[in-house]
This record gives sequence, C-alpha cells and structure tokens, in this order.
Amino acid sequence: MTFVHPWMLLGALAALIPLLIHLFDRRRPRPHPFGAISFVLRSQRRTASRLRLKRLVLYTLRTIILVALPVALARPELKRSAQAATIARGPAATSIILDASMSMRYQDGGTAFFERGRQQARDALRELLPDEPANVLICGPGVIPPPAASFNRGRLRELIDSAKPTFGVADLNRCLDLAAQSLEENPMPGKRLVLISDLAAHALHLNLPPPTVQKANGQRLRPEVVIRDAAGGKLWPNRAVVDLKVEPAVQLGPKSFQFTFTVRNFSPEPVHDLEALLKISGQVVAKGFLDIPAHGASQKTLSYHFSSGGVFAGEVTISGDSLMADDQRSFVVSVPKEVRALIINGEPSAVRYRDEAFFVEAALGAPGSPVRETTKDAEAAFHDAFDQYDLVLLLNVTAPGPDVSRRLIDFVQRGGGLFISLGDHVEPELYNKQLFELLPLPLRMVKTAAEADEPDADRKAAKLAKISVDHPIFSPFTGPAREGLMSARFYKYMLLEAGSAGGSAKGTEVLATFEDGAPAVAIARRGQGRVVLYTSTVDRDWSDFPIRTSFLPLIQRFSAFLAGSLEEREEIKAVVGNVVALSAPGMAGMVTARAPSGGMLPVRAQDDGRFVIGPIEEPGVHQVQDSSGRPVPELSFAAVLDPSESDLARIRPEELTAYFGQGAMKDSGPDGKQRHLPFWSWLIVAAALAFFFEGVLLRK
Amino acid sequence: MELLNAQTLAKLAGVKLRARAVVDGVLSGLHKSPHQGQSVEFAEHKEYAPGDEIRHLDWKAFGKFDKYYIKRFEHETNLHAVLVIDGSASMGYRTGPLSKLDVAKVLAGALAYLLVRQQDAAGLTIVTGETSRDLPARAAAGHLRLVLDDLESVSPQGTTDLFRAADHLAEKISRRSLVILFSDLFDDREEALKRILQLRARKNDVAVFQILDPAELTFPFDDPTLFLSMEDERQIEVNPREIKQSYLEEIGGFLNSVRASCGEADVDYELVRGDDSLDAVLLRFLARRQERRR
Repeated sequence: MTFVHPWMLLGALAALIPLLIHLFDRRRPRPHPFGAISFVLRSQRRTASRLRLKRLVLYTLRTIILVALPVALARPELKRSAQAATIARGPAATSIILDASMSMRYQDGGTAFFERGRQQARDALRELLPDEPANVLICGPGVIPPPAASFNRGRLRELIDSAKPTFGVADLNRCLDLAAQSLEENPMPGKRLVLISDLAAHALHLNLPPPTVQKANGQRLRPEVVIRDAAGGKLWPNRAVVDLKVEPAVQLGPKSFQFTFTVRNFSPEPVHDLEALLKISGQVVAKGFLDIPAHGASQKTLSYHFSSGGVFAGEVTISGDSLMADDQRSFVVSVPKEVRALIINGEPSAVRYRDEAFFVEAALGAPGSPVRETTKDAEAAFHDAFDQYDLVLLLNVTAPGPDVSRRLIDFVQRGGGLFISLGDHVEPELYNKQLFELLPLPLRMVKTAAEADEPDADRKAAKLAKISVDHPIFSPFTGPAREGLMSARFYKYMLLEAGSAGGSAKGTEVLATFEDGAPAVAIARRGQGRVVLYTSTVDRDWSDFPIRTSFLPLIQRFSAFLAGSLEEREEIKAVVGNVVALSAPGMAGMVTARAPSGGMLPVRAQDDGRFVIGPIEEPGVHQVQDSSGRPVPELSFAAVLDPSESDLARIRPEELTAYFGQGAMKDSGPDGKQRHLPFWSWLIVAAALAFFFEGVLLRK
Repeated sequence: MELLNAQTLAKLAGVKLRARAVVDGVLSGLHKSPHQGQSVEFAEHKEYAPGDEIRHLDWKAFGKFDKYYIKRFEHETNLHAVLVIDGSASMGYRTGPLSKLDVAKVLAGALAYLLVRQQDAAGLTIVTGETSRDLPARAAAGHLRLVLDDLESVSPQGTTDLFRAADHLAEKISRRSLVILFSDLFDDREEALKRILQLRARKNDVAVFQILDPAELTFPFDDPTLFLSMEDERQIEVNPREIKQSYLEEIGGFLNSVRASCGEADVDYELVRGDDSLDAVLLRFLARRQERRR
C-alpha cells in the first residue's frame, strides 16, 4: 500500500486521544449524598457488563473515526503496492496504452471490454499525480507512435473518449515499445506504462523482449508497468467462424457452389447443435447444425444452386455469442454465366472416338460445365452468325475463306473468343493469310516427333516442358495435376514463327512449350476478344493428350478464359487490418472503395495498373466503384477477420510477472460493471458509519 | 383554593406555622366539600337526673311521655391516632427547600392539629436509627403543643429500620389505633414494609405517606457523580446518564411493589413528592378515607 499524501498519516495519532483521556483524566466526580443510593448501586450492578461492552465499542468506534479519516486523507492506493519502489522514486511520466483489438469488443453483461477499458483509462488518467505528464496510445492495427507526454489532460481525455474498438489485431509488444519510446525524451526519471487490455495471449508475445526506455546515457531501463485487466480476470468462452471455402459443386450441376466453413470453439465446454446459416444476398438459403468439442473445431458444408450467373455476396453465420463480430464470415462468389460455344468440327467421323470434336464435346459438356456447345461441320458453321456465340472453336478446320475470316475477325474484335486447334487439315500458309490478324503467332510447319505407330513412339514423342502456372488457365496445374499434363505425349505439332507475332504482337503470350521450346499453347488479345492457339490436335491423331486426365479441365479452362469468365473474378483475399490490391484492367481513372458500414476506404493507384485499397477496417463485403461512381461487382470483395483475435485464452499472471518483472501488477477491476471505489472512499464510509453508530450508542 | 407549595411553606419558620398553614388550607377545602363535617350523633335517652345538662333535655319526648329525658350523644369516632415519623438520615435529603423530614413533620403536624381539633387523640412516635421516642395519644388541646414541639425537635440521623419501628409500635399500641407512617421506606430488607403492614392485621387502621425527593424520582444528574450513602459508608462513582434508565426502572419497580403491598394489606398509601402541595396531599388523603368510610 502506498500513500499519495503520507504526511497526513500523522493525523492518525489522534487515535491515541481516547486512550490518553482514559489514562490521564483526573477530573474528580462531584460527591453527592443521596438517599436512594441502594437503587443507584443496584442499577450500576445491573448495567455494569453492558456498560463495559458499550464503552469498549465506543472506544473502538472513536478509534476507527480518528484513524480512518487521516488515513483516507493520505489517499492510500492498494493497487500500487507492488510498485512501492517506483513510487518512492517520485512521480513518473506515464503512457496509457488502451487495447483496441477486435477481442476487446467482447460483451460482458452488455458492456464491451473496450468500454470497461476506456473507463479504466479515464481512471488511470485521473489518478495521475499533478506533476506526472502523460500520453495515450490507442493500440490497434496500424498503430502510430504517440506524441510526447504532456500535461494536457483534457486532450488525453478527448482521445480516450473518442477511441473506438477495431476489428483488427493489436500487437501489444509493438504498442508497448512505441509507448516506452515516447517517454524517452521526457526528463522525468520515473517512467510508467499503463497497459489496459483483455490480456488475450495472442496479443502479447512473451518471447519478444519486454519494453525498455533508453536513457540519455544510452542505458536501457525497464519502465514500471501497470496492467489493468479489462476482462475482469476471467477466461471467457467464444466460438468463431475461422475459415470458409467457396467452391463450385460440380456434382450438383452448373452454377452450384458448396460453402465449407470451419467453426472453432475456444471454450472448455463442448457446443452442441450450433445453428449455422448460409445467406445469399441477405436471404437464408441453407441451414445446418454443428457439434464442436471443447477447444476444438468442426467443419460443415452447405450447398446452393444459383439460378443465374453473376456476382453474389453472402455470409455464413453461426448463433451469436458475446463476441458477435467473428460469428459470421462474408464471401463474394462469381457464378459463371452460361457460355454458348460453336464447335466447328474439321474432321467429323461416324466413329465417335475418331471424330475431331469428340473429346472437346465431352470436356465442355461435362457435368457442372457452364458451356452450352453446338457442334457443326465447317461448311454449316461458316454460314452461322458468330455473334450468337460467346466462343468459337476451330478444330482442325481448313482455313476459311476471306468472308468467313473477316466475320471471325470481327467476332473476336467485338469480344468473342476463338480457340484454334491444328491438324492435318490446317495449311499454315492459308491460315497465316486468312487469319493473320487473329493468330497469336503465325504457323510455320508441322513437326513430327514420332509416328504414333512406331514401337518406340512413346519415347520419341514430345512432351510439354514448361507451362505458365502463373496464368489463370494453367494455375490449377500444380502438384499432382501438373504430372497429368506433363505426361501427355505429342507425336506431331505445328511449329510457329517465333518472335514474329500475327496481326499484333502486343498481347501475345506463350503459356506452354514443348521440350524443344516450340510453343504448345499461345494466347493473344485481339480487340476486345481473345484467341487461344493450341499447336496439336484435340483428337488422338497427333497426341494422346485427349485421353489424359488433364485434358478435360484444360479445355474447360480454355473456354472459360476465352469467354472472359476465368479471370473476371479472381479470388480476392482481404484480411482486416491489411491492404488489398485489385487488378482492374480496362478501367479508366481511380476507383473508390466503400466499407460495409458505408465509410470510404483509401485507394492508391500502383504503377502496374493495380489499385491498393485499405487498410481494411472492418469485416464484410466491400464495394468497389469506378470513376463514375458505378459499382463494379466483379471487384467487390469480402474482408475477413484474423482468427487469432477470436481466441480469448489469457496470459497467466505468473507469465506477466515474469515478463514485466515484479513491477507489473494486475488489476482485475470490479467485475467490470461499475467503476470501483478507491480504498480511501471506503475509509470515509467506515468513519461515517462509526460516527453514526457512536451517536446511536451515546443516545442509548 | 390556593394550595401551598413547598416554597411557600419554606418561608414559614417552624412546624407549628407550617402545619397551621396547611390545616387552614385543608379546612378551607373541607368547607367546600359536600362530604365534610362530622358531629355527634344521638345514641339513647336516659331519664334526667340532677346534674345533667339542661340543654340536652328532649322536649319532644317530654311532650309525648310527660317525663324528662336527656338525649345522650356519642361522638362519631373516638379516634386514637399515632403519627410515626421516620427520622433516619436519608429523610434529611433534599434538593428543594424542604427535606423529606420537613415534609413529614408538616404533614404530621397538620394531621395532629386536625385530630385534636375534632377531639381525637393524637400521639407521636419518632423513629431515629436505634432509638424511638413516643408521645402518648391525647385528645386535649394542650397536647397538640407537645406534639408540635416534639416534631420541631426531630433531626435526621441513623438508619431506616422499619423492623424496629414495627415492633415498637406493636408493643406500644394497645387498642385499635390509626397508625400513620411518614417515611421514605428506604429499608433494604424486603420484609420490613410487610412488618409495618402487619399492624393492619391487628385491627389497626394504617396509612403510609411515602415521602420522596423529586431527585430520587427523576434522577436528574448529568455529570459523573460520587454518590454517598446518607446512612452508612457506601459510596459509588457513576456516570448518571449511563444508569439513569436502569435507576428509573429500579425505583419505579420499588414504588409499584410498595403500592401493591399496601393495596393487598388494605392500607392507605400516599406518595408525596418533596415539591408537592401538602394541603392538596392532605385533602386527597382525607377524601380517600372519607370514601372508604362510606
């Protein structure tokens, strides 16, 4: 226990007054001859024991009054008992650090930890001695160093009053370091850090060095650390949606998605029949229940079939608890639109597997594929209006005439997709002549690596050597999936004119090459459309690739890319507290971003044409608008919370003491609901009660 | 009627004057009473004989029987009263102008005056500690002066000994008498008062005037006080405020027990405060006795 005004304790000597009066009072009672002395004697005998007790109680009450008042005026402080040595050094420059992390949003009986912490910060500010300068650091994501400690209490109080809890992670180690550094310039020898936090273990890394203050001579000293526990010293239960994966549900058909989410239980009690809801555009579309073991996690998958394509926002929610922010996880899903494809079969055959389009039809018509394909031979197809399709596939087709070529070029220029696979019917010269404007690279000649019927054809056949997995088309082909691609054998393939692009070199990209470096897949942008050139056949004439497992997904990726639905919705991973970079090709001017609560987020344009948005301040679906203020659904994204903030596991007191040293102290506070009365107030109450009861006893 | 308070009586020197003043007040009150007055009553006729009072001749009887008859009267009462004064030291206590003994003397003197005035015999017994002094009852007018002189000479001393007083009276009183006791009854022995009251069982008429000082009834002390006994060596230092409640309960209980004992023994009981108007006390006493007689 320490005292703000220790000299007031001298007043406690007044407690000796009753004793001294008793010992030294030599007043002689007035003698009085009395006739009825027998009754006086009897009365005295009757009341002697009661009077003795009364005198004892009176003496005690008077002593309490005379001790309690001066001790109360001396302003004792129990909570600084562990810091007596520091106090003895005199007043200290103080930095008050208020944890504003997401976990401080936890509600205890209707009061958030943060509100309790705010009150504790006000108390800490009020309890400062008049000659103690101070500053305040609100510790959340993106914390900035506090200003030097000052005596402007009003400004600090405003700062505390206006502080808000964030949805991000607080790095208490960094905040303590910044606070300690802010005190280094202060000439006052005493330094004090007041940390107000829920003391969640994830926020303070005890393996990092504790905060120190560097003195002018370079010596580093550990400041006094006062810890005020906003969580009331208890371990609070919590459960949270910590992960969500949104994937197409191929088995349920096109435009079906499955939402697999993980719910973690951070409490020592298991959770049964926890309700989980899947909401799309604010409507509950699926519901499920989870059982989660204590300190465990459980996964659940809910599915939904979208009736149309487009970009949809939604969320997965679980039954709310005292920390509601992490009871839901938002998402933005891009449901592919239906793709109309015209397959122009250059080598139809009555034998199905010999048909040029057999494998491509099988790939595009697979369950879950958004492609609605139409297959025609070249003669019939060239009479069609290409504009009624999103995608045209030329499969080993003889080079079209000038009119058809012109219509094809116009089709692509206006945004259509063109897939060209080669074969025996393709004459390089004619192709180069008629479709020069479209080809990513001009065709040169057919190279035969091996004849398919040779005994050692497999050994001689060419294989893919390099693929650009960075490109959306090939991005899934990593790991085992890559093996399925690389093991394909190519007996023949068309060589391309290296380095001399077709109609326009700009926008041409070779995504896969054979072992000899010849391009296997080349893509190009032509006008608003795209062209993919595959230099072998899509039947088994030149390659066994069509019977490889990687053929189907690759053909689907080609069609999606050409239809513009592959990269139109890149998965955007945004975590609260971080920034997010968006690619917005073709968008002119600056974009703006709006948070779920309506606030605008800072946006910076990068040299590479991307936009950096953030830091993100809250979870949920963020809308992006173009320079004219129109929403761009394809760029909207869902920000998620860092799951570490959901774990309220606490740092043990002994760990805190070991980390900060004996100077640290916990103050669990008055169960958080009310501001606790300082000890000296209770002394005043005790003195008042003693005074009251003394009066009552005297009247008796 | 203007009643005499203690202050007024205190201005009068001596028992005689004080008693006379009280008696005047009492008589003034009696005249106004519808129940007052006592005289002689017709008892019988006897034939006239020389020497009889001519004024007692019954002329109506002479008219009827043609003989002289003398009307013989008998006094209504032929009272033999003994006034017993407790002259112990505690009776000397006073906080007002009159001590308890002064009050006792005035009341006794006034009653003696009234008794003699109606030709009753009045005697006096003064009990002081170990000794008693008696003045036999006489109805003569000159006897009153002796009673009053004796009363005048009493001074408080010794202890209160109701036992001895009762024994003494039982020994001295030979015929049915009215015994009137003036005392504070501060005798610690529980049976002492009963001993006095037993006189009633011996066909005596007994009346008790318990005289107490106002301070003994109200205990009005505030400061720490060393109370000294007036009859022995006892003393005690107390804070009167601390024991006042208890004292009042004790004294109240004592008075209730005295009153109850007197009631059970068919004894007239009168509590007299030192500051009471004594003529009012006497009037109350006489009225109560008149009531009992009827």
